[in-house]
Amino acid sequence: MSPQAAALIVFLMEMVSAFISVLVGYYASKAYRSSSAKGLLFLYLGFMILGLGIFLRTITATYFILVNRVTEIVPSSLAGLSNVAGIVFTLTQIAAYSLFVLTYVSQSKRIGEQGLRLSGISAVAAFPVARLFYIPALEIIAITMLGFVMLSALVNWLHRRTLNSALVSLGFGLMFFSHILFLFMLFSEGLLFFGQLSQLTGFVCLLLMLAKVNRANA
Amino acid sequence: MPREHKEYRSKTRIYADVLDAILRRGGKSGPTHILLGANLSYDRLMKHLGQLVELDLISEDSDNGDKVFKLTEKGRKFIIEFVKVEKFAEAFGITI
Repeated sequence: MSPQAAALIVFLMEMVSAFISVLVGYYASKAYRSSSAKGLLFLYLGFMILGLGIFLRTITATYFILVNRVTEIVPSSLAGLSNVAGIVFTLTQIAAYSLFVLTYVSQSKRIGEQGLRLSGISAVAAFPVARLFYIPALEIIAITMLGFVMLSALVNWLHRRTLNSALVSLGFGLMFFSHILFLFMLFSEGLLFFGQLSQLTGFVCLLLMLAKVNRANA
Repeated sequence: MPREHKEYRSKTRIYADVLDAILRRGGKSGPTHILLGANLSYDRLMKHLGQLVELDLISEDSDNGDKVFKLTEKGRKFIIEFVKVEKFAEAFGITI
């Protein structure tokens, strides 16, 4: 696979994930407006922040890749900028996961992701674009938070046994799994792609849930 | 749609329960059936029915001299939307 094709696939996967995240956030905002349930407010903000973060990261990564293709030697200022951007994006992600945690914590009271490197993408590998996607210390925090969210969603599914709750549980589970893959990408670069795929599949599960909910009748 | 457990109900949930009680009687019902269906005291029911009439979700009528409440088109749409919102929230473990 050519570097351009690989980068395009990753770009599309990221954009689709961001779009679904914003879509779920939008639906949560609609649901919040009509019900005033605080948990829906957290979901709305969480998915919106997550979607926006992924979108901005994709744009930034694409820009860095293009710069790298034009200039052989990457300016140090730009390399530093990629580090800062990576921290900002990961913090955005953690903020979103914190809101998901709040969603489940508030309920209990009452009752990163991916890389751009595939095998053979030497031009991309020369530039630290991966820093936009992977900061080990913050990744562990994200995994911990998403782990809690995933378990809460799993408990909800065990309690309700509905297809919708199963899809949400599977969605968060796949997002969690993608972070695990990113954590181990030091050992194999191919895990970046599979992590990306896992994340996208997770978002698709949420999209399926949304489609199913929209078909529901009284 | 009505919940089995006795717990705090939001205003939206009460509205939905009242409208659902009317819907289950064919879209037209007297206060007694609504009271039983929505599990409300008489005073609270009358207060909520008044609000639902103001919101144009139901309309007040009479049937052989008895007071009845009819579900409006807006009320039907409200129930459909509420079911969607409820399913969405429940998928994430949120109770509304």
